[in-house]
Amino acid sequence: MPPGQPEDCSPDATALPEDPEDLSPGTAAERTRLAWERTAITFGVVGLVMLRDEPVAGLIVLAVTPLIWALARYVSAVPPPGAQARARRLLLVAVAVTGVAVVAAVAALLGHGGPVRLP
Amino acid sequence: MPPQGAGVTIGAPGKRRRGGGTTSSHDEHQESQSGEPGEKEPDIRFTLANERTFLAWNRTALALVVAGLGIVQLLPPFPRVPWGRHVLGIPLIALGAIVSVTAYLEWRRTQTAMRRSEPVPQSVLPRILVGTITGVAALSAVVLLVSAVR
Repeated sequence: MPPGQPEDCSPDATALPEDPEDLSPGTAAERTRLAWERTAITFGVVGLVMLRDEPVAGLIVLAVTPLIWALARYVSAVPPPGAQARARRLLLVAVAVTGVAVVAAVAALLGHGGPVRLP
Repeated sequence: MPPQGAGVTIGAPGKRRRGGGTTSSHDEHQESQSGEPGEKEPDIRFTLANERTFLAWNRTALALVVAGLGIVQLLPPFPRVPWGRHVLGIPLIALGAIVSVTAYLEWRRTQTAMRRSEPVPQSVLPRILVGTITGVAALSAVVLLVSAVR
């Protein structure tokens, strides 16, 4: 840095930060928590849709909804969770969504004139 | 001190922050718990953005599952094509599972790249999605034609 140039981190009340998030750094965590909650709501919707024709499968999926909602809380936890804890929780979501897809595929194949018939 | 915005990779330590005197805990970089030596946890905001992308793909996956299930359970059967609903719905449900698993693998790949201050790899998910949806659209046209002509 050339001499005489002001310090990069000197307070400058008039300048806006480069990233709007710097004004309120908490918004990133808040947006992520909202994204988790939207995901939980989507699970609930899928569960309700399945409930119509496959009550057992629908109830299983509905039971996952509060779990995903609970995971939303860890985003703003203090202290923030470590890298491994974060990876485990996201893996849980991926496993849950894959499980819902498997349940839906079984329901589609077995019910409603599907190609697979139980003996 | 490097100039602002000099970094070409996301998560490179020390490339941002100017905020007039306000320091916050999210700017601290920690040594990775699981990674190799020399890897650093990226700025928490990048970690959170990566997580939101993962969640958005999972909501897309759930929407695909609901769409597939809706086709099988809610549509009336196609006249003269008894297998029509299953041919259209089951690929969408399978795509939901594929999107979810791939989203997790991509989240991990991006997180590792950010930890190593490497360029973020390109996502394959848009290509998978476009390919399958195009395929299902073409299949719908075939089912409708067969149903109308036969």
